[in-house]
Amino acid sequence: MLRWSLKNLLTEPLRLFTSALGVASAFTLVIFFYAVFKGESEQIVAYPKHTDADVWVMQDGVSNMHMASSLLWDWKQTRVARIEGVAEVSSILYLNTVVSAGGKKWFSYVVGLDEDMSRGGPWEMAEGKALPAAGEAVIPEVMARLTGIGIGDPISITDKELRVVGLSRGSFSMANSVCFVSKTDLEDIMNTGGSVSYILVKAKPGVDPGELAQRINAGVEKVNALPAGEFVRRDREMAMQMGTEIIRMMTIIGALLALLIVAFTAYQQVTGKQRELAIAKAIGFRNRHIYVSAVFQTFVLTVLGLLISIVVSYTLIPLVPALAPQISVSISHEAFTRVGLAAILVAGLAALWPARKVAAVDPMSVFRD
Amino acid sequence: MIKLVGRQLAYDGGRTLFVSIAIAASLALVLVLEGFEQGLYIQLKNAVLNRGGELIVTQSGVTNFIASRSVLPQMSREQIEAVDGVVEAHPMTIVPVIYERHGRKTPIFFMVYDTAGGPANIVQGKPISGPRQIVVDESLATMHDLHVGDTFVVSNYEFRISGLSRQAAAMFTSFSFITYDDLIDFYFNSDLVGDIMNLPLVSFFLLQLEPSADPARVAGQIEDRVPDVDVFLPEQLAANDVELGRTLFGPVMKALLSVSYLICLLVIGIIMFSAIYSRRRSLGVMKALGFTNASLTLATFMEALLLTAIAIPVSVLLAQSTGWIIETTAPLYRIAVTEPAPLLRTLVAAGALAALGALLPVRIIARLDPVIVFRA
Repeated sequence: MLRWSLKNLLTEPLRLFTSALGVASAFTLVIFFYAVFKGESEQIVAYPKHTDADVWVMQDGVSNMHMASSLLWDWKQTRVARIEGVAEVSSILYLNTVVSAGGKKWFSYVVGLDEDMSRGGPWEMAEGKALPAAGEAVIPEVMARLTGIGIGDPISITDKELRVVGLSRGSFSMANSVCFVSKTDLEDIMNTGGSVSYILVKAKPGVDPGELAQRINAGVEKVNALPAGEFVRRDREMAMQMGTEIIRMMTIIGALLALLIVAFTAYQQVTGKQRELAIAKAIGFRNRHIYVSAVFQTFVLTVLGLLISIVVSYTLIPLVPALAPQISVSISHEAFTRVGLAAILVAGLAALWPARKVAAVDPMSVFRD
Repeated sequence: MIKLVGRQLAYDGGRTLFVSIAIAASLALVLVLEGFEQGLYIQLKNAVLNRGGELIVTQSGVTNFIASRSVLPQMSREQIEAVDGVVEAHPMTIVPVIYERHGRKTPIFFMVYDTAGGPANIVQGKPISGPRQIVVDESLATMHDLHVGDTFVVSNYEFRISGLSRQAAAMFTSFSFITYDDLIDFYFNSDLVGDIMNLPLVSFFLLQLEPSADPARVAGQIEDRVPDVDVFLPEQLAANDVELGRTLFGPVMKALLSVSYLICLLVIGIIMFSAIYSRRRSLGVMKALGFTNASLTLATFMEALLLTAIAIPVSVLLAQSTGWIIETTAPLYRIAVTEPAPLLRTLVAAGALAALGALLPVRIIARLDPVIVFRA
């Protein structure tokens, strides 16, 4: 019976392939949606992840960077430097705001750096210098490409015009591109003075960042110190959480569409073979066998769709940033697990309708006509 | 020919209904994604328009409301109110904060207001009437299981929820409304009490004008007299935010929509292929009677178009229902299915997809041998 089912499916390879492609598209849509959110979340933590610090110190009550605002008195940097186990400290000023470049606007992390800083700046450069002086800015290479600007061109943050002196790599994302300016310029933009946003701490060799963070929290009032790994994890978690609900909805919608396509194809297969099914029943095959055959057909179709979607996802989705540099994608096994589970449900549920049709086939119909 | 196609569809009404629903479901996916994108822009637009004010004053150089830091000198209020035609300048500011409950963190915007700019649509509870009260958006309430009367703690500062607002969100971030008195206390509670001037206190002024005042003229006068500010009509500022939204979300939404259009095309293709494949005998008869390949292909196109036409109202209904389910379970999102421009675009595309989908079985028609009719 299973051989018959397979043969039945393969009778019309074009129909089988088109249906599998339809199922694959529905699954790919879910995987793509997930890949975008994951890619964006990875880019959101790109800055803290690439910053060479063992401990991040921020305003009490703040524990991440994305969409957060932290301000500390700058003298706290000296207090942190005195804590046992601290090798080196530096600080950044940070602002979430809109950057205008080449007539377009981008939502950005603007990081204010001291001119002699050894950490906290761009981690990879495409062109130009990495540390901006007053009146200068380092912007992501992708932003420059999308806006048609380059070294020497102006950008503006609120009413402050700055000149681009460097283009950084790996620092662009849809939700938060990272632009670097001098701390004095950012103080001016923020209308602030004597404050820093985050203190970046380098621990002495052999010092555990977790223990050092605890010592800083105990030794300096109204700050929150976190080991770098924990800081990055919290940011990533929060970014992903912003998309959790919509990813769940898209998975359901994608699965329902796949269900409809598989059910329709299986139904068409059954209705086209009613005579054969009647013969099968007449010669003694029970409904049970024919149900199994229906499930087998939907299973083959769904697995084929799933396999195509996996191949497409691994081959085409990584090409997306080359075509649309503003989209960051990251394919994860989690997305495939999610789609795989949905596929099992799809295969099972899609078989119900054709199975019902099969049950209704009268073995006597073979002797009519 | 159209009569023949109509009869064909009416002959097997059950199948026609089913395939129409299948096409409608794939079209509904396009409409939901279009609605999702439009919803993002509508939320951005409403974030500005729902604040009230006939003109909005920003820091010079700031051309957006959301996602932009604007700091206005407090002294500018007097200067602005001295301009002819201005009745009152209502201050407001936006402060991004992270709300955490039971280990779950959510970024929110504090919309801080005094005499105008508060929540536009309170669906439960009441507006703020005393100290330490807050109105949160129902999306945040759903996410964290919050109710009117619950405490709401941000950075160790305790508020009590007085009301829940609807659709007060933008850029996947919900708004929570507090008053200036509480913002000051909130700042005093933090580390920066000694340097409160460093903190954003006034980001915008919402201007109430005299009934006879010409907004454009008043805006010009303010910009002439107060050098540190820019003045916008709310619609202009809203359009700037929508444009920013398009830059941020447009590319990814285009990519998602492309995949959904492909699904739609494949669904129509599968349906038409199955329909023609199962009717090979009758098509053979028609060929034997003298129907040409071109006329049979035309009939296939008409069938696909007719099925799509039947599917369109169902797809709108399906998309609306899906949107309602999404908005109810996750009120942070808005699914604006019936926005005229994207709806029209989708419907036109549906016609084109139907025509393209009908191409798939053309090969079967061309290869069909009329002799088939004389076989078994």
